Amino acid sequence: MRYEIRHKPSFATLFMQLQPGERLTAEAGSMASMDGAMQMITAFSGGFFPALLKTFLGGESLFVNTFYNQSDRPLDLVLTQSTVGDIIRLELKAGESICLQPGAYIAHMGGVSMQVQWAGFKSWLSGEGLFKLKLQGPGLLFFGAYGGITERRVQGDLIVDTGHLVAYSPQLKMNIQLAGGLMGSITSGEGLVNRMTGQGKIYLQSRSIGGLVNFLRPRVP
Amino acid sequence: MKYDILKQPDSAVAHIMMDPNEEMNAEAGAMVAMSGHIQASTTLRQGKGGGIMGGLKRMLAGESLFLSVFRSGHAEADLYLAPKLMGDILPYMLTPTGLVVQSTGYLASTPGVDIELGFQGLRSFFSGESIFWLNISGEGLVLLSSFGGIYEVDVDGEYVVDTGHVVAFEKNLTFTIGKAGTSWLASFLGGEGLVLRFQGKGKLYCQTHNPGSFGRLVGSRLPPRN
Repeated sequence: MRYEIRHKPSFATLFMQLQPGERLTAEAGSMASMDGAMQMITAFSGGFFPALLKTFLGGESLFVNTFYNQSDRPLDLVLTQSTVGDIIRLELKAGESICLQPGAYIAHMGGVSMQVQWAGFKSWLSGEGLFKLKLQGPGLLFFGAYGGITERRVQGDLIVDTGHLVAYSPQLKMNIQLAGGLMGSITSGEGLVNRMTGQGKIYLQSRSIGGLVNFLRPRVP
Repeated sequence: MKYDILKQPDSAVAHIMMDPNEEMNAEAGAMVAMSGHIQASTTLRQGKGGGIMGGLKRMLAGESLFLSVFRSGHAEADLYLAPKLMGDILPYMLTPTGLVVQSTGYLASTPGVDIELGFQGLRSFFSGESIFWLNISGEGLVLLSSFGGIYEVDVDGEYVVDTGHVVAFEKNLTFTIGKAGTSWLASFLGGEGLVLRFQGKGKLYCQTHNPGSFGRLVGSRLPPRN
């Protein structure tokens, strides 16, 4: 499989080429264009009930598409995301996993498995949801975000705005707290923030859809 | 006339340098800035069909295009044009083959370019977007715009594109409309919508992002309209 992420960072798009016999799984709706000979099979993500779980609790699409090159030559495939921003390619080793925000997942290849896991009440209070979408390697994973993506190592703790969190290592713990004092939190507009503790990686997006929604809301006629 | 496309590929704007007594057509609202002496007028171009019913049908179908005409008059003039969405602008020199352009993909053209609304009844039903198509023929320059980047595909055989991602294609390509995958249910619920399956030999211009998808992502969180 050959790939190139073009039009970074605002309109990052995956230009891929699958070799004969190769297959790739991607979120429904992510296909922009592809060679006519490419086979695309739509299925419930992981089976009917796991798919329902992923849709209602994990915030992902009910369906996934598997692209399969059953021809004898390399076939082109262009995958994209609904949002405007960057795409990251992550190579997961066996046993290594990452949790993704709803909507961030784009595609995966190899033995990557997708599960919905209980995230805990603290995660729910932080606005991250009761459940998290966990992807475990080995394999290749592509995910995207709204805006540019920054990778940070958490060693000890880090305070993040939940609207800007894209992905994080599952072992990190979340704790919500006020941004400042009570008055400070309200007046600064930051409100509640997420204190992440432990050792791991997080990915942040430079813009938040919530921020855009708040900007647009008073302007909707 | 000379032109320059600036700020590619995310925030492209077209700088048109007009000679005296030249004209430029553009989608209404595209003008960013222009020389003071340019004469601008706007007309409503509507699809084929006539009479009151024709007019009503067109309104319902959403097939209408407000076009502005800019005339440079007695002197050279400067004109800056930009599309509504963030993305790229691609200049295309029209050939006798002709071009079919998605309504939002049209930015501007020179006077020798003929624009007809509607192309073989092609529509986009399930994806819920009111996309319509422009049948472009004649001679001259067409400025295409996109949401995201524009990528060109030299079709030679068969190529499939999600309808929300098609900007323009040369008329010598044949196409069929169909579903993307194997399941109709998935097309409805899974967000794949409809695809255009192109066959033959010709150029196809696609955009990397789908305005409808991004719109739904943001719009689904906005309060409903009264």
